[in-house]
Amino acid sequence: MSVSLSGHTDRSGHKDEPLRYSLLGSTLAVAGFQIGRLISRQRLLLAGLGVIFPAAVMMAVRRTAAEGLDRDLAVTMIYALVPEAVCMLGLLVTMCPVVADELERGTWIHVSVRPGGRRALLLGTYLAAVTWTSIVAILAAFLAVLVARVPQPLPLVGMLAALVVLSTLGRAALFALPAVILPKRALVASVAVALVVEYLAGFIPAVVNQATVSLRLRSLLVEWMGWRQKLPVEMQLLIDPQPAWVQIAAVICLAAVLLGVAAKILDFRQFPPSVEI
Amino acid sequence: MIEVIDLIKHYRASDGSVVRAVDGVSLSVAAGEMVGLLGANGAGKTTTLRVLATLLKPTSGTARVGGCDVVTDPLGARRHLGYVSATTGVPDRLTAREIMRSYGRLHGLDEGPLARRIDHVVRALGLTDFIDRPAGRLSSGQRQRVSLARALVHDPPALVLDEPTNALDVVGARDLLHLLDGLRADGRAILLSTHRLHEIEHRCDRFVIIDGGRIVAQGTPPEILGSHASLEEAFFAAIAAGAPS
Repeated sequence: MSVSLSGHTDRSGHKDEPLRYSLLGSTLAVAGFQIGRLISRQRLLLAGLGVIFPAAVMMAVRRTAAEGLDRDLAVTMIYALVPEAVCMLGLLVTMCPVVADELERGTWIHVSVRPGGRRALLLGTYLAAVTWTSIVAILAAFLAVLVARVPQPLPLVGMLAALVVLSTLGRAALFALPAVILPKRALVASVAVALVVEYLAGFIPAVVNQATVSLRLRSLLVEWMGWRQKLPVEMQLLIDPQPAWVQIAAVICLAAVLLGVAAKILDFRQFPPSVEI
Repeated sequence: MIEVIDLIKHYRASDGSVVRAVDGVSLSVAAGEMVGLLGANGAGKTTTLRVLATLLKPTSGTARVGGCDVVTDPLGARRHLGYVSATTGVPDRLTAREIMRSYGRLHGLDEGPLARRIDHVVRALGLTDFIDRPAGRLSSGQRQRVSLARALVHDPPALVLDEPTNALDVVGARDLLHLLDGLRADGRAILLSTHRLHEIEHRCDRFVIIDGGRIVAQGTPPEILGSHASLEEAFFAAIAAGAPS
């Protein structure tokens, strides 16, 4: 069998050529690769459940309410179900197990030996998880709003979509850390992070909650729904009074810092062959 | 093309002791040469290959691929290197074409040249019949071919293969090694580790035998074989001679 493979790219010139790879191109390649892996019957079924579940809950609640659902109550429930629960669960099943699988199983090695492969793996997986979970959660929010029969549904869906995107951007970055630090226990570590950081620290009215996504999302919800004046004093401790752009910038900065730390850890991390040591 | 000079890689074990996985290994592989790296489990083969593949950083010493140092110029080293391991890491749901396209894009190949390159590799490695079949439906031999194709998608001048025939049956192993013969003839430097000595006895230009992280013998087949009847005999003799008394 002939295996002549030269001539289609100039191997002799490799050393003198400038590096042609771009982090963006590599990240998009990995994201496409990961989304390709996510499009399976099981994952689509799981996504379908994620879309239907909040609507099913809203339908059940609406049936019990004789005079229809109060708008504020419906919005609060949809917020808890979609930007919080669906996003959190969606990212738990996409972001951390996928990164951890890559790190611990064979594929990671093959990505890692490519130029910029480690960072592309992290960022591409992040992009795929954010895209996949955001689409599922936005569809879920749309369906839940329709089922709840909330007045003025379109602006509400727009607001929920913005909260979903911020939720996935921030929390996928949060889950990237346990995935690269503890790849063998990524899912357990991510659940612990979700509970301790987002739902314990996030509700402590102190400096510590400033670094949580849940505080930012709650504050945005209160701001955009115009609820600030309605909130009792003790509840105001659980939100941040800064304007919306500060909350959005805080989530983006938090995501950038978390991804930066995860990328640095990956850069320096070594994976020795366990059978050899 | 591949150079390892006085490479040392030590790990700290969980009990605090220092494990000398590789302890002063030096070897080289020229273009158009196939070198067999032989050793038992724990001898330091995979650690040496992973340092070359930039997956591990050496404690000291030098490792270069295509003249690029793996520590100071890891991106350059990666561009010159194709890496194949025993675990193929080929995702079940993707086809060979999709896998090669993704990895080619990681190297910055544009769509047009990448498509031509994939077609060329597919023809050369005989993947035509299953190029658009999900990898989960391929045999272990076909998956390892896909793994080799993935390693070649950026046309690297050097190939490092870590026990590539481990999961293959006799036919799959023979086919893969036959492909490697062709790649060597194509001018690539090939460094190959394996336990299956009989498979490479008549294939490699040189052998390096490693034990306890140290090279205990290296040379051409006649130099290694000496008066021994087989490579296996020569291997055990070298290990015994190199063992501390």
